[in-house]
This record gives sequence, C-alpha cells and structure tokens, in this order.
Amino acid sequence: MLDYVRLEVRRTLRDRGFVIFGIGMPVLMYVLMTNIGTGPGGAPMEWKTASMVGMAAYGALGAALGAGTGVAEDKQLGWLRQLRITPMGPVRVVVGRGLTGSVTVLPAIAAVLLVGALVNGVRMAAWQWAALAALLWIGTAPFTLLGLGNGYRLSAQSTGVVNTGCMLLLSIIGGLWFPAELFPGWLRTLSAWTPGNRFAELGQSVTQGGAPGLGAVAVLAAWMALFGGYAVYAYRRAARTV
Amino acid sequence: METAATRTTGPVSGTDGGTAVTFRGVTRSYGAVRAVQGLDLDIAAGETVALLGRNGAGKSTTLSMLLGLLPPSTGTVRLFGGTPESAVRAGRVGAMLQDGKAVPRVTVRELITFVAATYPAPMDVDEALELAGLAEFAGRRVDRLSGGQAQRVRFAVALAGNPELLVLDEPTAALDVDARRTFWRAMRGYARRGNTLVFSTHYLEEADDHADRIVVIDGGRVVADGSGEELKRRTGGTLVSFDLRGAASAPLPALPGVSAVEIRGDRALLRTTDSDATVVALAGLDLVHGLQVTPASLEDTFLALTSGATTGAATAASATGAAAASAATASAKETV
Repeated sequence: MLDYVRLEVRRTLRDRGFVIFGIGMPVLMYVLMTNIGTGPGGAPMEWKTASMVGMAAYGALGAALGAGTGVAEDKQLGWLRQLRITPMGPVRVVVGRGLTGSVTVLPAIAAVLLVGALVNGVRMAAWQWAALAALLWIGTAPFTLLGLGNGYRLSAQSTGVVNTGCMLLLSIIGGLWFPAELFPGWLRTLSAWTPGNRFAELGQSVTQGGAPGLGAVAVLAAWMALFGGYAVYAYRRAARTV
Repeated sequence: METAATRTTGPVSGTDGGTAVTFRGVTRSYGAVRAVQGLDLDIAAGETVALLGRNGAGKSTTLSMLLGLLPPSTGTVRLFGGTPESAVRAGRVGAMLQDGKAVPRVTVRELITFVAATYPAPMDVDEALELAGLAEFAGRRVDRLSGGQAQRVRFAVALAGNPELLVLDEPTAALDVDARRTFWRAMRGYARRGNTLVFSTHYLEEADDHADRIVVIDGGRVVADGSGEELKRRTGGTLVSFDLRGAASAPLPALPGVSAVEIRGDRALLRTTDSDATVVALAGLDLVHGLQVTPASLEDTFLALTSGATTGAATAASATGAAAASAATASAKETV
C-alpha cells in the first residue's frame, strides 16, 4: 500500500494545476492580504499570524479535497477497475488514497508557514510551530473524507467543480480568508458550526499559546463522522460499478 | 495473417493441472437485457482459449464475471477452484481490460514497477517491459504515448505480476500488423511456460491462429467450442472443386460427406464434411480433373455458427483470393 501512496503522491505533485492552485494560490493570497492596503506600518502581527493560519488551512483544505478529485479521474480512466484485478484489496486502495491526501496537504501548509516566518516575520516558540503544523495536518482528515466521498459518488467533471465549490465555500464561510469576526452576527454564528472554521481554530489557539478548545474538537469530530459516513456510502455504491 | 506453420508449438500440456476457469449456469442481465444467458464453460490450466463473437455477443460481460468485476445474476464462476476475488487476491490473475485508458503523470517503468510490487511473485520489471515491447519507452510518461504504445502498457500491466491466468479483452484492437505479430509472439512464449490464456476477439483469424481452442459466443451463449479445425469440420468446412468436362452433375449431392453443390459453368463446387471420402468417390466416378481441395473460409464457418449474423460479422472479408472460398462465403450469406 505504501507503494500505492508513493505512486499517487508522485502523480499529484506532477500535476501542474495542483502546484499552481494548491500551493501557489494560498501563498500568493497570504502575501497579498498581509502586505497590500495595510498602511505604512504594514499589517499588525496578529493579522499576519492569523492570516498565516487561515491561508495554510485553506491550502490544506483544498489539497485534501483534491485527493477525491483524483479518485474521480481514476475512476473515469478505468484505473480503479484495473486496480481491482491486482492483489491489492479495494479497502487498501481507499485507505491508500486517504493517506495520499494526508501527504499532499503538507506542501501547502509548509509553504504558507515558511512565508509567514521568513517573509512576514512571524515569531513563535518552536513547540508552537510544531503543534501548529501537526494540528493543521491532522485536521484535514474530515475534508479528505468529503473529497473521497465526492470522488466516488460523482463523475470526474462534477467532482472537480463540486470539490472546488466546497473548498471556496468552506474557506470563506469558515473565515479562512477574512476573519469571521468581521462577519455580521448571524453569519458568525453559522461560521462557528462549519468544519473550516473549527479547523482553523485548532491552529489559531496554538498561535495564542493555548490548546484547542473542546468545542472545536467536538464540532470537527462530528463533521468527520458525517463525512466519513458519506465516504463509506459513496464508496459502497461506486464499488459495484467501478 | 499468420500461417499455420508459426503455431507448431501445439497445445500446452496442462499436466500440473486442474481447472483454471469454471462457469456453471451463469447468466447476467442488465435490466431487461440478458447479456449472458446460461453459460457453462471449463478451461483447463495451461490452455489458450479464444472467446470469439461479434460485438455485443457477451464477451466482455463474460470476462468481467470471470475476473470478479461483475457478479453473475445466477450461476457460479470459479477460478482455480475458488472465487474470482480470492484468485485475484492471491495474485494468480492478470488482465488487460478493453476500456482502460492511460494513467496520467507516471512513467511506464514507475507504473509497471508499482503493479509488479502488488503481486507475490512478480515478473522482473525489465522482462515485462521487454515482453511487451516497451523497453525503449520505459522512461516516457504513459499519457504521452501513442495509442498502440499505450495498449502495450496495458499489456505490460497484465503481465507484470507473472500471473498463472492471463485474461485479455480484445488485446490487439489498437495495434498495427507489426505490433500484433510481436504481441502474439510474446503471448505464445508466455503460454508455453504453462500459463493459461483467455482472450476475446472478433477476428476469426486471430482466434484460429493463436488459440488451442475457440469458444464461439453468440447471443450470450456458447454456440460452438473446439479447435479451429474442429469448428470448420463441424460446419462442413471443406470445399472440393473440379472440372466436370461435360459429365452429369446429378449424382454429386449423394456423394459421401457432401452437404451442398454448386455448378458454375463447367466447374462443380462441393461443400463437404469429409473431403477424403468425397475425393475417393469422385475418383470412382472418374471426375478428378483440375481437382482443388480448399478449407472453407473462416468467415463461412463463423457465419454458419452464429445465427442472425446479418451485418458486421463478414465485413472483414479476409480477401482469401480463392474464387471458390469467396463463392462459398457468398452462398453462405444467402442462406443466413
């Protein structure tokens, strides 16, 4: 199965679209949002830090959903069908895909954090950097499952569109682009129930020197259970026709 | 078209044995359409078998069920005595599917290396590439190959695990004549190692040239099963022609083995199931003038076997050249 993960990671990283939009976009947006229209003194350090977490979360979220887009493409190519007649069992294919997602989220997280530290001068304790990266990494799991569910359920074309839509919606409503504090009251309340918001909160709490709150973990866990159920359902339906 | 001389390797002995593939009362429906209706088939280990049929005859459905990709509606499919899934899991099966497309963003070598590694006792990657005629493309990306080259990649994917049973769904569809010849040379080498080979085709010559046994499928059923020679014999597969030189044609239909008689000018054409007996009888009547004995064309045989072959089946019209054979094809068309 590790061979499969290696193969799929390689394929993802060779995808120019993934590199440009999955890694380049969050970095570019981070640089722009913290350096344009911020006055002579530049943006306050709190915003540079908060936006760093938000953009890293946005990039990771997109890459996690992208794992599912890959599944839909492979389904269309007949590659999933071909895999079914290798000794590698179908469960290992799905798990391998999930693990692939967990690897391909790393470049975006790393790139945004590096730009934060090197370009924007964000300073934190070493443990905070480590904990931030680790939480952003683990927290992508629900989005990977959502992406896989879409990938198995939908055609290649719709998966691309739906996953991109999910990414934008979850990022914007979740307050990854603009802080949720700027939203009107009702949207703010709604935002607090979305997985994107709570995903970023995992990271924000670490940058403020604390541990993630129970609420954030609980909401994320609930979404993960929901998306996990969806992925299993979608996979079972697709397994008959793949 | 390859000649008979190139397949002198003969049937491979499946002595180590047993049965590789078993179908028992298998049916498969898609909604109201019955793609396969009541298939019984045994393939011994070591056999090379062609599933021959027109488009839509049920070949691909049969192969999908054989591989465990599609459950039968009724009946059972067994591979090496177990379920298709368990045989696949054990790495005993390799397959080339008809509708597979190139996997993007991997090189040929990366792909074959990966597939080989999923099998317990794979073929050496270089050997697999060599057999598939891909050695010079090993470093190329799969999605940047031509159609024929991509087809060889799918072939290498099927071979990479060194499986005992190799299943190929219309393996030579996108190959040119040279590539086809190379492909079958590799296949024969692979079968000679005692492996079982099952391929589907709608090319009659291909089935006849490369399989020990031809299973003709039509309308989701096995309509004939045997070697190419047996099939031809079964359908009255030899044409005997000679000059009448004014002799009466009346006694001809009663000669041993003769199933049809056609008179063209001074020349008589007899379709016979037993050409030896027919010729001996002709000699007795002193009718051996300009005698020709030719096998009936495969098209003729195929048309005789598959009912309702109104279109498509005979389009290849293999340009046999022999006037007798083409005349026979024409007459067969009329009778269908």
